[in-house]
Amino acid sequence: MNSSSPPLAQGNSGTVLRVEGLRVAYEHARGVVRAVDDVSFSLRPHERFGLAGESGSGKSTMALAILRMIKPPGHIDGGEVWLEDIALSTLTHDAIRRLRLAGVAMVPQGSMNSLNPVARIRDQIADAIADHGGNLSRRDLAARIRSLLGQVGLPPEIAEKYPHELSGGMKQRACIAIAICLRPKVIIADEPTSALDVVVQRQVMETLGRVQADLGAAVILVGHDMGLMAQFVDRLGIMYAGRLVEVAPIRDIITAPRHPYTRLLIDSLPSLEHKGGLRGIPGLAPLLRDLPPGCAFHPRCPRAEARCRDTKPAVRPMGPDATVACHLA
Amino acid sequence: MTPLIELRDVTKTFSGGTLGRERKVALERFSFAIDPDRPRVTAVVGESGSGKTTLARLLLGLLRPTEGEVRFDGRNLQRLSSAGRRDFRHRVQAIFQDPYEVYNPFYRVDHVLTTPVHKFRLARSAAEGRAQIEAALHAVGLQPDEILGRYPHQLSGGQRQRIMVARALLLRPRLIVADEPVSMVDASLRATILGSLRKLHEELGISILYITHDLATAYQVADTILVMYRAAVAEAGDVEAVVKSPQHPYTQLLVGSIPRVSTVRDWAVEQPQAEREISAAGCKFADRCPVAMARCLTSAPPLFQTAPHRAAACFLYENAPALPEGKVATVLVPA
Repeated sequence: MNSSSPPLAQGNSGTVLRVEGLRVAYEHARGVVRAVDDVSFSLRPHERFGLAGESGSGKSTMALAILRMIKPPGHIDGGEVWLEDIALSTLTHDAIRRLRLAGVAMVPQGSMNSLNPVARIRDQIADAIADHGGNLSRRDLAARIRSLLGQVGLPPEIAEKYPHELSGGMKQRACIAIAICLRPKVIIADEPTSALDVVVQRQVMETLGRVQADLGAAVILVGHDMGLMAQFVDRLGIMYAGRLVEVAPIRDIITAPRHPYTRLLIDSLPSLEHKGGLRGIPGLAPLLRDLPPGCAFHPRCPRAEARCRDTKPAVRPMGPDATVACHLA
Repeated sequence: MTPLIELRDVTKTFSGGTLGRERKVALERFSFAIDPDRPRVTAVVGESGSGKTTLARLLLGLLRPTEGEVRFDGRNLQRLSSAGRRDFRHRVQAIFQDPYEVYNPFYRVDHVLTTPVHKFRLARSAAEGRAQIEAALHAVGLQPDEILGRYPHQLSGGQRQRIMVARALLLRPRLIVADEPVSMVDASLRATILGSLRKLHEELGISILYITHDLATAYQVADTILVMYRAAVAEAGDVEAVVKSPQHPYTQLLVGSIPRVSTVRDWAVEQPQAEREISAAGCKFADRCPVAMARCLTSAPPLFQTAPHRAAACFLYENAPALPEGKVATVLVPA
């Protein structure tokens, strides 16, 4: 994966997806749990954007909220998602359905285990195409399935196989083939390689990168592996307790993270260069229904000051490509 | 020296498919021993299907070898007396991948700690038992008053896994077999759990077999490493040497596949190899090997001892002496 994605479109006009002040709440017996709190970012065509954070930080909820797939007791209670010039909140249920796969496609977490065990791969791809409004003749459909499998690096005979006949990496590629069957503009991949070995992980990510370049789509990669982010994305957003606490081009995040949490997240990855590099992040991720006052990160922050304990830091722009929510940045 | 635990020329095959006609070799003529006098942290690394979990289950007596034998303290594990079995259960402890599955949800977590205290009569009084449990929890970085009396669902995965480490500590075993103990916990918590395992080794001289697919944590925790590929050892030796300058082409692929936090995008892609005719007797890695030679397609290399503390099963190193069959443990020595 030496080549990064194609050059980014210049200026703010070239935006394929824009998230503005998105909020997601879950109704809970002990009150409202805010899983996504006022999150804004935008995605350029062809861009690879990463969303990283610990479990429970809201990154998967974020991914579902973009597609308006939050199920009760959760609901979106504020903000807007724009796909080019369409405001998704204004769409009917059916229009949103058609938009999934054709506009924004998702490779969900553990998706390789979501394939139907009693249907051939061919039928699962055909269903996805038919279900989201694609209307093809039998012959065109067979050709389309062959070409989709080719795009994800699978031989055509895979079409006739059942999921249990495939390895984990092959299943994950089949899921990518389903996700791209209607040529989406944005692909959201939620931990697409979390259950795979490193060697297979690299092959699947290489496939995702190639498919994205072929389609000219943008990608949102959700995950917690900072190494994977460093090697794959152009820009990275860090989530903590439902907020996007830092966004910056990947190079800047690695060399000079602005948020202390980002620093700790990078340092918690075990190094292959020197021993003694096993450092955890002190404390535990906070419970969303019981967030500390001020900055939600202050109880774990090595640099916390008095103001961090009582004032919630606002999200501030740091140049054209970056934002940060920290009093000290 | 009688090894604490030893695998002697063990093969384990599983049968499957229609009428059990398909046979899968999970571990092939594998020998390995743990020296009771020199406790070490040894990592066993490999992809799924490499045989690493089969190895763990054989060592724990949860699987019976198809051929060969597993010996505990010089006696066949399958034929221990009840006292011998009890001693084995005391001296060899396991920590498994899933910190959710090992708890009975109807019992408070105290149960997994009080049971071994009673079973192995670790304490002379209830108060002494309680004190031991509290000390063990402290040792793994947990506050007893935040843990005891809770039910499993009230604790995080990281806390539950640390309780399992505390449980192992309580028994003062000679060996802990930890099979993917951190693959289901968050990256930020992995360090704490692996750190407490490492501490058990350093402070109490407990040997640890750390089974994982994650080479980076293996490097951080272990002194020595065994790299497994399709039921056999590909490379073994001092962890620093193996990770920093891998010799076997498979280990090289493994090291190169780890995405690094770096502004340099050096995540190279494995080049697919041309179709090759490989005989059943050939090297198992030959179909993926970028440097395979003609002979690799027809015969499998033994482990060549390339240095006092390392060996690789690859014909690239055939000028080095072949390690005698079953002697892989001799290179599992820190440099």
